[in-house]
Amino acid sequence: MRGLSSGMKVALVDAAAMALAVAVVAGLIAAFGSAGAQRVATHAGLLLVSVVSLQLFSGNTGIVSFGHAGFAGIGAYVVGVLTMPAAIQATALKNLPVLLAGYQLSLGSALVIVAVIAVVLGLATGAVLMRLTASSASIATLALLVIIVTVLVGAREITRGSQPFYGVPRGVGLATATAAAAIALILARLFRDTRTGRMTRASADDAVGAAAIGIDRRHGVLASWTLSVVGAMIAGGLTAQYIGAFKPQDFYFDLAFETLAMLIVGGLHSSFGALVGVGATTLLIEVARRLEEGGSFFGVEVPPVFGFTEAVLALAMLLVIWRRPEGLSGGHEMELLRRLVRLRPPAPAPEPDVRPPAAMLTTRAVGKRYAGVAAVADITLALPTGQVTGIIGPNGAGKTTLINLIAGQAAPSSGGVYVDAAPLAGLPAFRVARTGIARTFQNIRVFPHMSVLENVMTAAERIEPNAVAAERAARRELARLGLADHADRLAGTLPYGERRRLEIARALVTRPSFLLLDEPAAGMNPVETDALMAILAEVKRVRGLGIVLIEHDLGLVMRLCDRVAVLDHGRLITEGPPAVVRADPMVVEAYLGSRTSARALARLSEQTQ
Amino acid sequence: MLLSHPTIGRLVLSAAVTCALAAPSYAEDILIGVATAQTGGLAPYDQPSLAGFRMAIDELNAKGGLGGKYTAKLAIKDTRTDTAATITAVQELVDAGASIIVTPCDADATIAAGQITVAKRIPTLTFCGTAPVLATAVGDNLFGTYPGDNLQAAVIADHAYAKGFRKAYLLVSPDSSYTAQLPEYFAEVFKKKGGAVVGTGSFTMGQPDFSAIVTAIKALPEQPDLIMTAAYEPDFPAFIQQLRAAGVTTTVYGADAIGTATVQGLGKLVDGTVYTAAGYPTPGGALEAFNKRFATTTGHAAESAYEANGYEIGLILDAAVKAAGSTDPIKLRDAIAGLDKLPIVTGTITYAGTNGMPVRAVSLIEYKDGKPVYIATQTPAAADVPAAAH
Repeated sequence: MRGLSSGMKVALVDAAAMALAVAVVAGLIAAFGSAGAQRVATHAGLLLVSVVSLQLFSGNTGIVSFGHAGFAGIGAYVVGVLTMPAAIQATALKNLPVLLAGYQLSLGSALVIVAVIAVVLGLATGAVLMRLTASSASIATLALLVIIVTVLVGAREITRGSQPFYGVPRGVGLATATAAAAIALILARLFRDTRTGRMTRASADDAVGAAAIGIDRRHGVLASWTLSVVGAMIAGGLTAQYIGAFKPQDFYFDLAFETLAMLIVGGLHSSFGALVGVGATTLLIEVARRLEEGGSFFGVEVPPVFGFTEAVLALAMLLVIWRRPEGLSGGHEMELLRRLVRLRPPAPAPEPDVRPPAAMLTTRAVGKRYAGVAAVADITLALPTGQVTGIIGPNGAGKTTLINLIAGQAAPSSGGVYVDAAPLAGLPAFRVARTGIARTFQNIRVFPHMSVLENVMTAAERIEPNAVAAERAARRELARLGLADHADRLAGTLPYGERRRLEIARALVTRPSFLLLDEPAAGMNPVETDALMAILAEVKRVRGLGIVLIEHDLGLVMRLCDRVAVLDHGRLITEGPPAVVRADPMVVEAYLGSRTSARALARLSEQTQ
Repeated sequence: MLLSHPTIGRLVLSAAVTCALAAPSYAEDILIGVATAQTGGLAPYDQPSLAGFRMAIDELNAKGGLGGKYTAKLAIKDTRTDTAATITAVQELVDAGASIIVTPCDADATIAAGQITVAKRIPTLTFCGTAPVLATAVGDNLFGTYPGDNLQAAVIADHAYAKGFRKAYLLVSPDSSYTAQLPEYFAEVFKKKGGAVVGTGSFTMGQPDFSAIVTAIKALPEQPDLIMTAAYEPDFPAFIQQLRAAGVTTTVYGADAIGTATVQGLGKLVDGTVYTAAGYPTPGGALEAFNKRFATTTGHAAESAYEANGYEIGLILDAAVKAAGSTDPIKLRDAIAGLDKLPIVTGTITYAGTNGMPVRAVSLIEYKDGKPVYIATQTPAAADVPAAAH
């Protein structure tokens, strides 16, 4: 396991443990359970495939999907038509198009075809979904469900419409269901810790933050959607060969809500949650429905009370949502390896000896208007590598807007942004990031549900050759920012100042030519601020990158910066070396405004000299 | 969540206890497994059916059991209107040694159940499933009990033709087997008699606006003298209101699902509308007597024809056990398949000569001045009933 990142090692052990657990339970039921118990376990296994597939998409993207039930329906009908004996097909599907008739495939071959169709459908529908934000994407999956079921009802020649579709050979038993469930669990657990999995989770956690490290959100949505559609359709295909008779409405809202409820009970954000959700729900149903059937309990006659199971399920769900909003699993994976063994992390990578080439980041007469208000107007600045440029100005001067225009979070209304001669304006933020411009945000944008290491590693993966190299590079930056001991903590649990440092580590690991820092010292005490300034000065010295710094702490700006630009009301007032800017009466007038402030500035200059 | 060992222990224990408590079948007992939807979307049909069935079994047991000999034990399981849960429940009932299985009103759940019972050819009867295909989809051990869609359609077509209607328009919905197929069965019989279908319109169940269909009917080159549909609430009231508002006075016929208070409440709008029922409680008749007895026994009035139908399944099983003289599933199956003109509450029921969907009496009822008026009860010849659409 030397060639694997820590995350992948943990994922492999988890995946193996979950698959083993499923296999052991299934083995025990096969050996000691009644035929009825085996049916229960088989159905639970098939549900597990559905729920895990749903988790792979919804858990990683944060987009709740209702469409998976419909895709399961497509899978069921494809397997039904392709595996049905020709003799039954002749009566049950009289008007079946000749092209589809008479294949009598084995379940395995039919599933391969289902998977191919799933990839095509997944890519086609995913191409739409990936352009939508979380809530509208969710509504789109709802629409997909309605469309799919309507088409299934309408395609009477193939599906018998609303009438029962029957005659599907029943080849799915406990063994097949168990194998499918184990494979689904393994794939979902590993996907989470692949590069794509991390990128998908990062975008779900904070889309703007992810774009700033060069992640194209659409890529992760499309990949996880397509994979999970394959899972859903295979689950449907297997279910077809288990239940043998069905109609389109069997794959409608009821199924969508049932699988979603199981996932939410277990925990949406982890494959372990899917396993726990299906396991706990199945156990609960089995116990409750035995009680509701009544009978003689220790000499007392109890009448049957139907509806008890549903009531218990509803109560359990309420209880889970109330007491454990992240689900029974808490939204965490098992991380067995991390709990049981003290993992020796790979050594931090050494500082790269390749320096980014000298370049010039320029804004040329760049401006941004919001409904007639000029947030930034006509600013021309040259920001070379190897220099720290401070941008100062009163609140509302347009400093953050200028950074957003440079980094692609906003498109300029006029003028342009260039790296050397290459124009950046109009590019989406993730593309700007890929040209070597990294940034941090005034309102911190780390990925709260990912570990500190994952936060930085995800950014590193864009430039490092593999996950191990990315992990080592990430550990180098964590060490630099004093976060090495927190590598496995969830980023959302870090205190404020450390989250700021994490964001800087995440930006630095991409080895940018330009680093844009939006108030990096906000909320830090003087000791922390000094330490941070030392780090930044060192990075500039070693890497020769260009740093653009927005900061209110004037002392810090004057000490660290090679040049200072002053903005007021969206315009550039002056620009030059700190000493010159400090003495500029325009700055004192516009930025500091009063005689008191002038005295403060004078005092400041005495201190810094 | 990792379960602690004591929790697992308790679960295993409770499962073991409940298994041990499951009623074993003794030599003079017959175990009847009832796996029906007591909750979920099918509950409105399966609950009254079960109430009637239990009443029949209680009465028969009081008289010495099925066939006067075998005390019937009921093992009742709720399938929650879920096909997979139906499979599990039926499997458990088969494991427990059930000689007879009763399944939900839904055709696909019944077919799924039949796939399990077919191996031992255990007779499997649906409560009120009406899709004729359910009897032929798996094997000869599946039986319908309620008047099938094709049977109802044959009676309605017969009546329509006799009343002088010759040109029919069909209003169908592909959303359910009932709304899609029943008018088609009607058309088959109607055409065989000499009638013609002048047009077909399709609606989506739950659609509020029927103006397009109404316009299409008005624009037909050949005006129908009858509109046949199996639409029910809320579609049937919506359709007929919009049809009449547009000035179309053509008679509309329906099937058993419009025998409701809502449709009756439409008053003049449904004047002349004929529909079917498994039976009609004519004063002094057997169904009225049953309804009274049901109300006294259970403490609440029968809500529909399903109570009586559930009760009739008890009578069918009693006759089958008597004929078979055994609780052996295969002998019971043969006995049911051979039942001929067995007297039941609403008339007689015949399986002999059918493929599992019974030939039995269907009542025709007409709305007149906002009141249901009984027309007649008819039992078509098996040969007149159209074959199940596959």
